[in-house]
Amino acid sequence: MVKIIGFLRDRSGLLKWLFFLWLVCTVVFDVMALRHEPHFFGDTIIGFWSGFGLLGCLAMGFICKGIYHLWLMQDEDYYDK
Amino acid sequence: MTSNALLMHPATWFILAALLMPVLNRIHPMLQKLTLVMVPALSIFLIYHLPESFGTVTWMGFDLVFGRVDKLTFVFLNVFTLMALIGGFYCMHVTESGQHTAAFLYVAGALGVTLCGDYLTLFVFWELMAFASTFLIWYRRKKKSIDAGFRYLLVHTTGGLILLGGILLRYRNVGVEGLAFEQIAQDGATLADYLIMVGFMLNAAVPPIHAWLPDAYPEATVTGAVFMCAFTTKTAVYVLARAFPGFEALAILGAVMALYGVGYAVIENDARRILAYHIVSQVGYMVCGIGIGTAMALNGTCAHAYAHILYKALLFMGVGAVLEMTGKSKLNELGGLWKTMPFALVFTVIGGIAISGFPLTSGFISKSMIIAGAGEAHRPVLLVMLTLASVGTFLSVGIKLPYFIWFGKDSGVKGREAYWNMNLAMCIAAFFCLFLGFGPGTAWLYSMLPFDVNYHPYTSYHLSETLQILSFTGLGFYLMVKKLTPEDHMSLDLDWFYRKGAKGFMWLAKHPVHAFNEWMDTLYRTVGTPLTLALARLFTWFDKEGIDFTIDGSARQVVEGGNKLRQIQTGQIQQYIGSAVAAVFVILAAVLLLV
Repeated sequence: MVKIIGFLRDRSGLLKWLFFLWLVCTVVFDVMALRHEPHFFGDTIIGFWSGFGLLGCLAMGFICKGIYHLWLMQDEDYYDK
Repeated sequence: MTSNALLMHPATWFILAALLMPVLNRIHPMLQKLTLVMVPALSIFLIYHLPESFGTVTWMGFDLVFGRVDKLTFVFLNVFTLMALIGGFYCMHVTESGQHTAAFLYVAGALGVTLCGDYLTLFVFWELMAFASTFLIWYRRKKKSIDAGFRYLLVHTTGGLILLGGILLRYRNVGVEGLAFEQIAQDGATLADYLIMVGFMLNAAVPPIHAWLPDAYPEATVTGAVFMCAFTTKTAVYVLARAFPGFEALAILGAVMALYGVGYAVIENDARRILAYHIVSQVGYMVCGIGIGTAMALNGTCAHAYAHILYKALLFMGVGAVLEMTGKSKLNELGGLWKTMPFALVFTVIGGIAISGFPLTSGFISKSMIIAGAGEAHRPVLLVMLTLASVGTFLSVGIKLPYFIWFGKDSGVKGREAYWNMNLAMCIAAFFCLFLGFGPGTAWLYSMLPFDVNYHPYTSYHLSETLQILSFTGLGFYLMVKKLTPEDHMSLDLDWFYRKGAKGFMWLAKHPVHAFNEWMDTLYRTVGTPLTLALARLFTWFDKEGIDFTIDGSARQVVEGGNKLRQIQTGQIQQYIGSAVAAVFVILAAVLLLV
């Protein structure tokens, strides 16, 4: 198993491009997907959930880290002081 | 309760095994290991043969119902007993009997709560859970664990008292019938019902009363945390689903806690604390489903509880294996373990993709049911909040956690594969994470749900939606991986109020209260003592000169009177008769003269 993981790690550049190709495929698949009755406006837009995933992830990362650095971050022995 | 009912109750066997554990270990350690898996295996057999109602005992006019089985009960019983078996395998290498005793009593408490049909029985098993699980924290024996255990116990004692207050109020309002553990309608809910709900919500770790969970679970023993992550919060989900479906407050708080948990998971550094915050988040989905209250949402809640227990336990087992083998759980101290702990990596990744809801895993067919339930109930805000939480889930547990433990920078930490029993337990959990995700596994899980299932997870749109969300979350991680590098700091949470509050209370006791006490002491010594002595002297004088004088004087008079009386007594009967006749004569003369 270590050999398989090592083999894949050695080809990280190829994996990266395969990943980008996969991203394109998911959007293309969304064009073909059979849509159910929309629960809200996002269900009607092609590729909406791609943007939601990317922006949601970036927003969550920046907002949470921002609040952490501005307010929540303390030393490990904060309560022992 | 008849002996038959006692023997068919799975909690009986867990309690018996818990009490016998030290003896079994003393006879032969192998007996203890066998018990750890045989009792859960027996309980899995037992739950398939339980009648709808058993073990009703009348005690002081109250009907205590130890066994009530319906579909809602069964799905939770099923996963609890399966989890006990997996946990039994995982902790087999631990020789210390006390840890197993605590774990089995804890499982017995959870099974007792799930099976009971009245609030009094519920409360007893509820407290057994809190009491036993505290030892799973204390057995780690570090100062931080001891402290966290005390906080955990105090918080749960408070929650238990709130629950008890609600139960007693309900008894006063409704009478004995009110103690039956049944569904409560939102329209007629009283203060008593809301107190009970708060008691349940505390165990479900609903913000703002959630901080005990990420405080305590990371400090528990490696094996104890695996048990704890499965039972406390999910028992709370069961009781909320039983009593409070359709309560709007739960729908809103559930969606909030789903986001709150992942928000903290994104910034946390300790692997087990990340997972603990993820329990808050995942239980948020279930609480929200209960709050929505439709058949689809409640089915989703039960399915998600089932799936969640298994993949969360798998994740705790994976990072627990790393902690057991390397002694470390902070992400900033780990990295590059893929060469030495590949099995733990694979199992953790399976748990990670299951919790993220990847197609062909259990999370895909359970979590989506709650989100679809929100959609069908025309709750788009809840739908978006829950979907956003799934983005954060994949970001923090699906990618961040395995990346920084097994890849990332090479920390130089030397690990080795976990013990065979730990790997076996992870293998069983991983199997179920995948088995439940498609075909017969999904059908099996759906057949256990409380309502008929009219939901098909594998539609092309649902697949497309999920793949887009997860894939582009992966892209987001790739773009900001440096930003997400864990830092060796802690983050404040709402436990600040009682941890700092306790310090404030201690300061108050040590300084103003102590100073006042000292001042009072000095005042007493300088003024109080001399005053007391003077008063004592005054009373002594009064006692001697006043009371003693009077009493002694009276005594002397009595003695003297007695002596005089004795002198006039001659002993001659004639004199006594003569005196009597004279006296009668005098009285008669007086009467005649006066009348």
